[in-house]
Amino acid sequence: MPLMTPGVSLHGWLLDAGRGALRWFAGWWMVLFIGAQLAVLAFSPSSYRRDSGAVVLRQIYQAAGPGLPGFTMLMALFNVVVIRIVVVTAFAYGLTQYALDAVVRVLVLELIPLAAALFVAVEYSIPGGSELYKLRRAGDFEAMRRQGIDPLGREVLPRVLGGVFAVLLLAAVSCVTSLLLAYVAVHGFTLAGVPSYNRAVGHIFNPVVSLIFTMKTLLFAVAVALLPVANALRDIPRRPSRTSVELQGLVQMFVLMLAIEIASLVGNYY
Amino acid sequence: MDDRTPADPPEPLAPRRSLRSLELRAALLLVFMAALLTGAALYLMWARGAFEATQPLYLTTDDSEGVVVGMDMTFSGFPIGRVRRIELATGGTVRIHVDVPVKDAHWLRSSSVFTLEKGLVGAARLRAFTGVLDDPPLPTDAERMVLRGDVSAEIPKMVADARDVLQNVDRLTAAESALSETLGELRAFTGRLNSSQGGLMAAVTGNDQDARRVGELLERASQLVKTLDGVVQKADRQVLGDKGLVTDAQATVRQLNALLQDVRQSMLRVDAVLKDAQGVAGNAREATADLGDLRADVEGSLRKIDALVTEINRKWPFAPKEKEVRLP
Repeated sequence: MPLMTPGVSLHGWLLDAGRGALRWFAGWWMVLFIGAQLAVLAFSPSSYRRDSGAVVLRQIYQAAGPGLPGFTMLMALFNVVVIRIVVVTAFAYGLTQYALDAVVRVLVLELIPLAAALFVAVEYSIPGGSELYKLRRAGDFEAMRRQGIDPLGREVLPRVLGGVFAVLLLAAVSCVTSLLLAYVAVHGFTLAGVPSYNRAVGHIFNPVVSLIFTMKTLLFAVAVALLPVANALRDIPRRPSRTSVELQGLVQMFVLMLAIEIASLVGNYY
Repeated sequence: MDDRTPADPPEPLAPRRSLRSLELRAALLLVFMAALLTGAALYLMWARGAFEATQPLYLTTDDSEGVVVGMDMTFSGFPIGRVRRIELATGGTVRIHVDVPVKDAHWLRSSSVFTLEKGLVGAARLRAFTGVLDDPPLPTDAERMVLRGDVSAEIPKMVADARDVLQNVDRLTAAESALSETLGELRAFTGRLNSSQGGLMAAVTGNDQDARRVGELLERASQLVKTLDGVVQKADRQVLGDKGLVTDAQATVRQLNALLQDVRQSMLRVDAVLKDAQGVAGNAREATADLGDLRADVEGSLRKIDALVTEINRKWPFAPKEKEVRLP
């Protein structure tokens, strides 16, 4: 076997890198394009007419309904543990006045939206994306198009809306539960601490923090709902690694969520 | 998924009913979500005091370090106001806009004092103190100075002072220092004090011979004191004895006293004489006054005589050559 010259090797490496970058850009462009199409559909009233509206409602329930009690219970348990640790530590160091602040910032602002997004991704979005992928491969989309039905509006949009709604609902319910549990953990079963608690919560949720929190949760929801669906609508080229297509989509989603989380942290604390 | 594609045959009745139920639950979830979000938004707005009537209070200070928008102003540990805005005013001072809820404003009086404290650990604290709660209430848009108490600003000065103190201590405890030399001398002194030869005297004088001399000196002093004691007893007898000096002095004093009595009586007589002399002098003064009147009368008579002589001279017929009458 003849030895390859370094020049040819570098050329090949550059070529591969360029192709990889192009594929990467094309992939994200596809995701963005599908996202834009779905946004247009989501804001057009025709997507919610009789049949389509019913489908959207059903998907919303399938996304949020079954997982809501389980997730809320699990998060409540997790909240109790974390709140207890933080409160006991703060008492031990004489930093009681910072206990509530730390609990609310750590749990409500950071952990709960992330946990809700991951829960919905694993429980609903990724299986839904896999299902869509199979439908597309089976040629059902083509059949629908032949009957004059837009598969994007009929099959894809309800799943994305369901995913977004599920993340928002789970996060909101868990945040409220967490705030109640934090109150009980700090003050006990009494109403005497309500004024100071309200003041502390109002102090933490200033307009900037509230805006960043809302934006972050919304972006988590969109990322979790959109990425698996968008990946199902395109043919992801198989990489040399042995990871499956679903797993690659999951990693992509995690990277995006990490970027959103970092951006929110920068916005909140810098 | 196939059951939702339009290519499917019409759905049976039971699944359709269950689908309707699903849609209903989904609608309920939507309503629940909307209520949750609206409630959360309203609660946060209420907690941040959006629905509360407030009155503005402006605090001025020369440094706003540690003050952040949204921080509380406390009164006796209770938050009664919130910093709304911080701005640079004319003259380079800082103007802190504090919103005080109207329901808590009665704690602030015209004599209230506001402080900004910054400890070593933790955030700065804006506090209000009201000494006299009967004073008139703080007016709306009141502007007050903030007293600053900054512990961290004192640290560099404290460190510099501590360094000076440590340097002084170092200088004091150095091997060549005066304190060290003094301690050395003290050690030598106590060594001599504890030695068997001479004891305290040897330690004070420095050698044994001097200590011995001091001992002799003390003995002589003791003898001298005894002699002195005898002398004093003799002197006592001579001075305070029956025929002593004091007894003579007492007799002399008695005689002197009698003599003084005589002198006093003589003085009384002299006093009477002086009174008589004073009466004579008074009479002489009155006589002198009468002499003045007499002189005036004499002068009047002489003037009349002068006029009479002039008249006579004018009418003198017998001696026209010599018209003047010569008075003797």
